[in-house]
Amino acid sequence: MSCLLRMEAVHFDYRGQKVLRQTTFDLEEGSCSALIGLNGSGKTTLLRIAAGVLRPAEGSVRLLGRPLEAIPLKEVARTVALVPQQLELPFAFTVQQVVEQGRTPYIGMLRGPGRNDRLAVDRALDLADVSSLRHRVFNELSGGERQRVKIALGLAQQPRLLLLDEPTQNLDIGRQVELIDLLHFLRAEGITILASIHDLHLVDKNFSTVLLLSPGQPLATGTPEQMLKPSILERAFQCPPDRHPLLIERAELYRKEAR
Amino acid sequence: MAIEIATVSNNPPPTPPHGEPAEASRHERVRLSPLVLIVLLTVALGVTTLVSLATGAVSISPRTIFAAMLGYHPLTEVQRLILFHLRLPRVLTAGLVGAGLALAGLLFQGLFRNPIADPYVIGSQGGAILGACIGISFFSQWSVFGFSATTLLAFAGSAATMALVYSLARSAGKTNVVTLLLAGFAISNMFSNSSYFFELFDRRGDDNRVLAAWLHGVIGVPTWTELAISATLFAVAALAAVPLMRTLNTLVLGDEYAQQLGIRVESARVSIILIGSLLTAVAVSLGGMIMFAGLIVPHVARLLIGPDHVRLLPVTALAGAIFLMLADTLARTLFAPSEVPVGILMAFVGGPFFLYLLRKMKRSYTV
Repeated sequence: MSCLLRMEAVHFDYRGQKVLRQTTFDLEEGSCSALIGLNGSGKTTLLRIAAGVLRPAEGSVRLLGRPLEAIPLKEVARTVALVPQQLELPFAFTVQQVVEQGRTPYIGMLRGPGRNDRLAVDRALDLADVSSLRHRVFNELSGGERQRVKIALGLAQQPRLLLLDEPTQNLDIGRQVELIDLLHFLRAEGITILASIHDLHLVDKNFSTVLLLSPGQPLATGTPEQMLKPSILERAFQCPPDRHPLLIERAELYRKEAR
Repeated sequence: MAIEIATVSNNPPPTPPHGEPAEASRHERVRLSPLVLIVLLTVALGVTTLVSLATGAVSISPRTIFAAMLGYHPLTEVQRLILFHLRLPRVLTAGLVGAGLALAGLLFQGLFRNPIADPYVIGSQGGAILGACIGISFFSQWSVFGFSATTLLAFAGSAATMALVYSLARSAGKTNVVTLLLAGFAISNMFSNSSYFFELFDRRGDDNRVLAAWLHGVIGVPTWTELAISATLFAVAALAAVPLMRTLNTLVLGDEYAQQLGIRVESARVSIILIGSLLTAVAVSLGGMIMFAGLIVPHVARLLIGPDHVRLLPVTALAGAIFLMLADTLARTLFAPSEVPVGILMAFVGGPFFLYLLRKMKRSYTV
């Protein structure tokens, strides 16, 4: 497997706060990684740096072996798509009009969208299962529907790497499962996935790799079994081991396995 | 003529028991196909021009105008004078001012992601007024490549003010919309009222009244050369806006989204501000202070064909021209033989509309 994205010794400060320190990791093509860490540990910042929206203060980011800052914006946008947490629209754009924006990196200033662009939009709507919503107004959709539309917008970019910022946030458990299924489906389609996930319950069975951010610490990487140990989570999330059901549950699980 | 009507919602959600019934009706938007709408508006523009030409202190019936155009019955010398030296330039000027303000409003509303941004509210008009006053007072005889110093200074004033307002509202890479609107409003007022001092120290007596009238938004009667130059500037700005409309659609998603989709956000923003400022400057140098045209027209256009800026550009320009032609004809005739400045008329029409939008916005976007 080849390396799609590589970060090396990346530093980033936000308003005088040290957000990322010595962040180094490789994303293998075809992997499905979860990015975890406590609030403010820099998950969103890391995703933005990976998408080329933010420049790291120090360190290097390489996309397919090339330094990210040397690749034209539009070319980056054809390889990497970032699905942010928030999308608020001031006007009544329809779902289709929103998803069409994903073709921006393919369309010149004067030439309108062509056949390929229309096909890509149709396919993105299909993949994210929002074809039936295409004429609805985006602002009038539910949270789960909006999340899918944002993913469709990212898919219209036809990316090799899809970055998702807390895609399961504010979704009920049924919609969370649907969303995780969608991620599995996209991975099977050959898209590499990196998603920041708040709900650790969703991480265990569903992701091949876990990236753990702790404030002021270098990023730690491993398989879910390695990274979801109670001792590690306890320290990384600054949470007493006997207070949160997840930690108690994980502790029992590891005890059983040890026996 | 067949009109395609598409209702946008498939299954409107049930009205909540304590919800506002008005919300449910928002789902049933009636949208015209853009091509049909553009044809309709072009016809309407022709009719409006004819009606505006026909009405006035001396009424010349559309029939007489038609007959003269087809060469059946020549106009009298007085009729010719009124039509070609007074009414036609004025009617065309009104159209140009309306189209300019409406397009500037469309650009600013899209750029600032806010439906109540308008060349007046955002400060662009105030800056143009100040620039134009300096031009009228000190450089009225100057011109650069045929463009009067007044228009050029109005453009410089508008662009500089926009840069100022924008930098005031910008902090840590984000634009605060409330600060933007309030800063724009304050600066717009300050700059447009600074014109009083130009009136005060103006030594040219008679011209004083011209300046005063212009400040209240009276559409003047320019010479054909002046009109041609303004029309050229408008055409340049409108054409330059065409490739930016798709970019504007992407910018509406937000700066970060646009950047991640491959848009050079800063340079797109500068281009849009410059084009919006040029359109405002053309409108202000012809018609002075006319509020809210840039607010109402894009909003109505959006109700007709939706928020896609590519489609909105021609529709907004045509609708803006029609709107201000009608408003100016009303201003000329409502209290005839006296004339109300069209700017005053617009303040009374636009004010309530602005308040309506403000109420609506409060409901959907709590800041």
